[in-house]
Amino acid sequence: MTSLVHIHDLARTFGEGESRVEAVRGIDLDLASGEIVLVMGPSGSGKTTFLSMLGGLLRVSAGEIWINGTNIAALGERELPPFRARTFGFIFQDFNLIAALSAQENVEVALNIAGHSGRAARDRAVELLEGLGVANRLHFPIEQLSGGEKQRVAIARAIANRPALILADEPTANLDSHHGAETMRLLRELAKEEGTTVVIVSHDERLREVADRVLWLEDGRFKTLQALVRDPVCGMLIDPDRAPASVEKDAKTFSFCSLGCRDQFLAEYPSRVY
Amino acid sequence: MSVPLARRQLLFRKGRALAGIAGIAAALLLVLALNAIFAGINDRLTAYIDRSGADVIVAQQGVDTMHMTQSALAEQTATAVAVIPGVAQARPILYVPAMIERGEKRGIVYLIGDDSGGAPLPIAAGRRPGLGEIMLERTLAERLAAPIGSRVRAFGQSFRVSGEVEGLASILNSVAFVRRQELERVLGSAGVVSYVLVRAQPTIHSPDLAARIEASVPGVTASTREVFARSERRVVGDMTTDIVRAMILVGFVIGVAVAGLVAYSATLSQLRDYAVLRALGLRARRALTLAVAQIGATVAAGFVLALVLVWTLAALLPRLSPTLVLAIRAGDVATALIVAGAVTLVAAALPVLRVARVDPASVFRR
Repeated sequence: MTSLVHIHDLARTFGEGESRVEAVRGIDLDLASGEIVLVMGPSGSGKTTFLSMLGGLLRVSAGEIWINGTNIAALGERELPPFRARTFGFIFQDFNLIAALSAQENVEVALNIAGHSGRAARDRAVELLEGLGVANRLHFPIEQLSGGEKQRVAIARAIANRPALILADEPTANLDSHHGAETMRLLRELAKEEGTTVVIVSHDERLREVADRVLWLEDGRFKTLQALVRDPVCGMLIDPDRAPASVEKDAKTFSFCSLGCRDQFLAEYPSRVY
Repeated sequence: MSVPLARRQLLFRKGRALAGIAGIAAALLLVLALNAIFAGINDRLTAYIDRSGADVIVAQQGVDTMHMTQSALAEQTATAVAVIPGVAQARPILYVPAMIERGEKRGIVYLIGDDSGGAPLPIAAGRRPGLGEIMLERTLAERLAAPIGSRVRAFGQSFRVSGEVEGLASILNSVAFVRRQELERVLGSAGVVSYVLVRAQPTIHSPDLAARIEASVPGVTASTREVFARSERRVVGDMTTDIVRAMILVGFVIGVAVAGLVAYSATLSQLRDYAVLRALGLRARRALTLAVAQIGATVAAGFVLALVLVWTLAALLPRLSPTLVLAIRAGDVATALIVAGAVTLVAAALPVLRVARVDPASVFRR
């Protein structure tokens, strides 16, 4: 697989002085064409900031993001929107479909923005929606679609312009297990058959099944997943060096995400097996 | 063709769109209707002059209007004018404001003392007045409940209603005709006339004749019918300009308030859509165009509705109140259009600022 994305020393800070927050810092990452990368991490770890910068929606404070030979961190305000339209497909947790438009128009509008209009755009939208099994919902208002149908329309919109990179934010969060699995299958298909690189930000463990790589983002940095341990009470992955609490039992060290989990552990040990 | 995004967004919340259109239409209707009412008054104001048959009107020097004006000429002026080459007829009239009363009902008129009893104006009913008689404008006759044969009072004298004329009354005033000799007697103004209505011989150019009259008869101002009517309209124009301006301003403010409120609330509810579109690659300028197009379309629809309403009013109102005539002029429509354009620009300012500040990265926020 060839490298599509090269990220070097990426950082993003918010605020100044005492209120300064380093949301993302020192990130180096390469993504190959057709690769599915799952980014996980606790809330507030910088996942959304990372995804926004990667999608050209948020300016970087430092570093470079090279996509197909273009450093998007250096692109001007006028160059970014057309680059986004051509290069990225976005899939959102809340679908973010435009309620005033029909299913077909939601897909078509993405094509229009990228410069495709008329019959060509209409035919492409219909073809995609048919391929995703929502052909009978083309002219339906968005509010009349089920969650699974909305996500398929959102996926159709995301892939309408044949993007090199799909950025998905919690794509299965608002779906039941059946539709969640269907979405995972579609993302996998996109990556393996179309060679589209897919970056997924999610808390959903099921997405590990389709991911080629799982990255753990915590405190604005990627951590090696092997170095992380699981909180025996809540199951959260945590960095043992930064865990708020740890306990030695039977020559084994348990790390906890919070004092609450530690206390629960101590109360239940050894009657409950961890 | 692309997806008609602005239209779809505008019509998505139909109730709000219709309320906005109705509000803007009401504001613009205020501007259009008021202008049309004053234009209608202007038309009626010169109806007598326009239909009097006079090509030139001779008045006291410095006078070129009838409304709110007094003109006094020696009776011999008419004789002096009549012999000027090119004059076919010189008809003296007396012209005074008067209160016509019938029982408890009263109406203000310009009472015209005319030897011909108002000729060549066509008579709608009855006949021209003889001595002791008066001919009323029909709407005044109806308002006073003074049918032909009944009696009315003016200057303390009783007159029998001999006939009716039509189309000379406005909401400001009406006209009535008596014999000049009768009015002279009532006013005690023997030997004085107000104006001389001059009919030119067929081949004579009116401006030339007016100039010839002024050159031949000292102490008079001779105006062609067109010039005289224009001056007359200017009198009402001067009186009403401030009112019209004030109402245009009121219409503008209401329009801005309605359009602004509608546009701002619509934009707020669409901010998420704008963020999504920006994330998908829509340029900021196109997003702004989208917002302005929606406001512009609302105002344009309001403008069209206001036009339809004012035309409907113009057709219906005279049936309900014959003196209330609405004359819709191209200039007044243009004024309303300018007001509509200004409303769009001002009302769009705030939403445009909001759309300009939309952060495409907000699509990831929940």
